[in-house]
Amino acid sequence: MTKKTFLHDEQIKLGARMIEFAGWMMPVSYSSIIDEHKTVREDVGLFDVSHMGEVYVSGKDALAFLNKLVPQDVARLTDTKAIYCQLLNKQGGIIDDLIIYKLQGEKYLIIVNASRIDEDLNWMVRNSLGFNVEIENQSHNYSLLAIQGPKAVDLMVKMGLKKENQPEFFSIKRAELFNINLFVSRTGYTGEDGFEILVKNEFSELLWNYIVDAGKEFGLKPIGLGARDTLRLEAALHLYGNDLDEKTTPIEAGLAWSVSKTKAADYNGKEVIQKQLEQGTDKKLVGLKMLDRAIARHEHEVYYNDEQIGIITSGGVSPILNENIALAYVKNNKDICIGSIVQVKIREKFYKAELVKRPFVQKKNKV
Amino acid sequence: MSLTEGILCSKSHEYIREHDGEYTLGLTDYAIEQLGDIVFLELPEVGAEFHKGEVFATIESVKAASEIYMPISGKITEVNEAVVDTPEILNESPFEKGWLVKIESETAAVDSVDLLEYEDYKEEIA
Repeated sequence: MTKKTFLHDEQIKLGARMIEFAGWMMPVSYSSIIDEHKTVREDVGLFDVSHMGEVYVSGKDALAFLNKLVPQDVARLTDTKAIYCQLLNKQGGIIDDLIIYKLQGEKYLIIVNASRIDEDLNWMVRNSLGFNVEIENQSHNYSLLAIQGPKAVDLMVKMGLKKENQPEFFSIKRAELFNINLFVSRTGYTGEDGFEILVKNEFSELLWNYIVDAGKEFGLKPIGLGARDTLRLEAALHLYGNDLDEKTTPIEAGLAWSVSKTKAADYNGKEVIQKQLEQGTDKKLVGLKMLDRAIARHEHEVYYNDEQIGIITSGGVSPILNENIALAYVKNNKDICIGSIVQVKIREKFYKAELVKRPFVQKKNKV
Repeated sequence: MSLTEGILCSKSHEYIREHDGEYTLGLTDYAIEQLGDIVFLELPEVGAEFHKGEVFATIESVKAASEIYMPISGKITEVNEAVVDTPEILNESPFEKGWLVKIESETAAVDSVDLLEYEDYKEEIA
């Protein structure tokens, strides 16, 4: 059965058009995707992302256990810090991409994709043999809200969290907003500065309405999954299921920056990852900008000199650039590089596109 | 006269409006609202002929691409270049400025038997 978040009714009141996503009824849009997108780039937007999963990992071997699961070095994390990483299978393929937060000592919080919670938990449990760890799925107890945009910091100040008390980029803090105990982290999925707030379900509606109210003077609007997708595409952030899957490694996905090259600990897929780091990969993720007037979408084919060299994994409109952009996997061939012109096959016709740098849109205010 | 008076709608959300033996074809306000921001349109060339039920055009919103079907058989006599250049016209004015093509049809009377008047269409999709 399709699940509803604890904010479902509040969103309907605000005019949300709901769709089913990863087994949840979620808002796709409130006003218009383009309008919501611009709100996040220029002011501030509020998202309900309660469909995402929360898994606690704790115990004496928590660090060693997590280090077996991901190619990043979890030992780098000090208390309250977070890292982006991927859960890998034995072949180095990506089971999910996630953020690990070190709460305190031996307690970690992992935020995972809604569509992958079951696979993630199965994999974690299968890998936990011999480790003294507790894996706790808390997804059903928590709501997750995101406040994203250049005015997010000022909005948090207005809500009682002074700048000096706000978490730094990729950090998490316990806080109290409107007398509600919660976690605030400086993370997001939009390419903008902003926060994600983890709150117990019973307080989420109260908190949502407080934020909507406090946000009025900052031009805050509720934002649906439609704009979440266009925002993350402009920022060239990967979407699991489109740009990442179990047959793709982080090196192929352009995520080598999130792979430790010096980690001593053995981890799932390490052999493949190290080989790819040394010898390169057969495919690589690239950014495309359409030169002809057409929109590249998921699964459209990419050609170079009449030969199919790849496939679009995410594509659409960039409301900020007013251009059509895409992410694609192409053959890792040195002739196909930034500036190369390729063809995208859309409804049996070919349209020109240029390989460009990622991200497509840069954040204005670096944190 | 209301904008929807005299139009006939298909269950796949195309509408036709007859004027002096010629038919103007477009997408209903309901379809446009469901699609959201319209960003791209691919329309056929003048002279192209299509059967009822055939795909004759493609519309893309920010979210996705959708096909548009011929509600009756006919031959394209005019294409609305304005909506190709400025697709957001469809969001603003689906029944006036946002028409897609004009067609001539010899089988309109027969082809339109399963089309609905706007009020009935609204009830059907509700």
